[in-house]
Amino acid sequence: MSLIPVYRSRPSALHASRAGAGAALCGALALTGALYLHPLILSAALAAIVLAGSLAGVGREIVRSLRFALPFALLIAVINPLVYPEGDTVLFRAGELLGRRIDITLEATAAGVLNGLRVVVIVTAFGLMSAAVDPDQLLRMFRRVSYRSALTATLATRLVPVLARDATRMSDAARCRPHPPGRLALARAALAGALDRAVDVAAALEVRGYALGGHTAPRARPWSRHDWRVGGAAAVIAALSVGGAVAGVGTVEPYPSLEVETGGTEMALSAAVLLVALAPFAGRAARMGVAHA
Amino acid sequence: MPDALVVAERFRYRYPEATRASLYDISLTIEPGTFTVLAGVSGSGKSTLLRAFSGLVPHFHGGDATGELSVGGLDVREHGPGDLAAVCGAVFQDPETQVVMGGVRAELELPLEHRGAPAGAVARAVEETALGLGVAHLLDRRTDTLSGGELQRVAIAAAMVHDPLLLVLDEPTSQLDPVAGDELVWQLRRLNEDWGTAVVMAEHRLERCLPAADRVIAMVDGAVVCDAAPREFLEWAVEAAPALATPGARLFSLAGLRPLPASVKDAHAGLRAAEISAGADRVCIDPAMRGKRRHDRQNRRRSRWFPHRNERPDPALALKDIWFEVEDGPTILRGISLELRAGESVALMGRNGAGKSTLLRLAKGLAEPTRGRVERAGEVALLLQNPGDYLVQGRAVEDAGAAGVAAAGLAGREDANPRDLSGGERQRLALEVVLAGEPAAVVLLDEPTRGMDRLHKDALAARTHELAGAGAAVMVATHDTEFAAALADRIILLGQGVLIADGPPAEVLGGGRHFSTEVARITNGAALLPEEGAESLLRAEREELTR
Repeated sequence: MSLIPVYRSRPSALHASRAGAGAALCGALALTGALYLHPLILSAALAAIVLAGSLAGVGREIVRSLRFALPFALLIAVINPLVYPEGDTVLFRAGELLGRRIDITLEATAAGVLNGLRVVVIVTAFGLMSAAVDPDQLLRMFRRVSYRSALTATLATRLVPVLARDATRMSDAARCRPHPPGRLALARAALAGALDRAVDVAAALEVRGYALGGHTAPRARPWSRHDWRVGGAAAVIAALSVGGAVAGVGTVEPYPSLEVETGGTEMALSAAVLLVALAPFAGRAARMGVAHA
Repeated sequence: MPDALVVAERFRYRYPEATRASLYDISLTIEPGTFTVLAGVSGSGKSTLLRAFSGLVPHFHGGDATGELSVGGLDVREHGPGDLAAVCGAVFQDPETQVVMGGVRAELELPLEHRGAPAGAVARAVEETALGLGVAHLLDRRTDTLSGGELQRVAIAAAMVHDPLLLVLDEPTSQLDPVAGDELVWQLRRLNEDWGTAVVMAEHRLERCLPAADRVIAMVDGAVVCDAAPREFLEWAVEAAPALATPGARLFSLAGLRPLPASVKDAHAGLRAAEISAGADRVCIDPAMRGKRRHDRQNRRRSRWFPHRNERPDPALALKDIWFEVEDGPTILRGISLELRAGESVALMGRNGAGKSTLLRLAKGLAEPTRGRVERAGEVALLLQNPGDYLVQGRAVEDAGAAGVAAAGLAGREDANPRDLSGGERQRLALEVVLAGEPAAVVLLDEPTRGMDRLHKDALAARTHELAGAGAAVMVATHDTEFAAALADRIILLGQGVLIADGPPAEVLGGGRHFSTEVARITNGAALLPEEGAESLLRAEREELTR
């Protein structure tokens, strides 16, 4: 099973909202992760993503995104103290390597952990987007900017699972052979198969009139309650995050000694991010008109 | 007489680097609103001709084209696929690569967006096309969640959404079960009648599409050799190209009846006209004789391998109360128990998604059952659906060895690149690849006849008989009822993961509607294949005369 979530239609407020609004909410949560290193704010953003995913019916996909992000987060948490010897509180002296002293400090370790948490927030936010925002609608938005690039991205999106299935089939076929072929032969055959697929899809695109390069102006679609609620939540979270960052809320200074602001403002910002992100899923209105055909 | 939609005059085409032409002096016209079937064995040029109608030949594939070919007034040598797409919708064999977008609605919108149609017109055309082709309920589905039949219908809807005058389809039913295949053909006929769209369809299983056709164009080696109405085509085929004759036509021809039937309904009318009752009580092989040849064949094999006839041989493969349940998904197999014995040829049938492939994978050990036990008496060879997956080297001999290439009937072509072989040749070569090790106690084949013409099917059936004769238990998952009837001593029918029939072919295929051969439908289940059907018709005729 792929660690990258795949979009499936679900009866939820997030799925029912237009792609722009859904992507904006996920983007706003990713922006919060990118702007802050504060553990409380990052934890709130992560909790908002996990709970929103759960309420949208894509909890499993979010867990898969977490599993995808955690190794990167751990890598950052481990490497940061090894390569960055700043900080007053030395936890462990590891001697010298290539004439350079290796000291593991509390500050560098904490900074590594917080940067890892930031990566987890950003990756899971995009995981939520991948699972809950219709990629066709999203790519249609980008087609206005660059039609062919967006179509290429669409094709790549479509071909990834097809090629993954091809690879699984070839691997099964190799297991059925009394004398399994070498890796090189398999890789060559897989490449040839992928090229065949690409040629077939290119032919299909040609007969659908791709060469005409036309462009349909988008049809005005009235904003639904879900569009307003999800888009509104995205705008509020983005505004709070940017405003808070400009105002210096949630400042973290890891070096030379770890300083983390833990005042009421940080708590208020964290609570606001969490509550606003979940607001579109609250109340009776969140359950109206969400069922897909 | 309306202007012809397609006009070809001595059209010739050669692929780049090919030594000979793939289309040779094609001269034909296709009128608006007609339903034409393209017939021919593999490599006869059907697909190339359809690709020429859609402009892919020569613009996409390259090569040399001479002569005249115009579609909707557009010369294919001057206008590419983009221009021709306005008049010609095209659907090819593999539905997986026909669909470009992630969602069905977006897929249907794409061709109109390429033409810059206004948003309102796009929405309306999508809605109307989806309703017309019965895919409205799929509009909000993701394309990767659709079955093969659904995907093929979506591909047809995408080809039809801009209302072209001509729709060309290259073996659109090859990956579908009999039910889905029949539904698709009749949907095309309805589209042809209601919307006036001319349809040109290449197909191997002619018995499926001749009833819907106005006309048949037969091709041999890139040239048109017959262009006639279905019945006249069948008259030509039984004499000149028996591989293209339908089972019903062969039945009538062997029984000396005329006219040859293009459909089961025609055949019933023909029998009535000849005053031969098609009732099972009249046109009937003696029950004692029914399937006798098959049982004789099976017994001969058994007696060779197990001389003490009363000793029932141990099963070569035993599945005991097998369940296969997908985590967060459906239950694919529900308590299946069956045994295969040495020398037995079994056809495993059922509609798409019935669990046939899963059963074969469990038998081989590619997957483990969630409950139950699989017992194997020896090696199990499994040929999966796509033979290309087994052919990974650049030369046939590197994949299958010299003996394997010879056993596949490809002696002298050891150095050929497997990708250059026809579908049927690849299938036979891939079978030899999986048989290359220790002699297999069980040989399993998953849908080996997809897209195969009758000549290749006959060759494959002969090879499986050979394997069974050598003592292997052979089980073939197939949708092809004619192939199953020719091959099997026993038919197993699966339905939603449950074994719903297990018996001799005459019993299972003779009593079905969808899972039955054309001859069985004509003779009301009295015979499965043309030869035995003709015997029964002749006997019935003699009885009629003596009365």
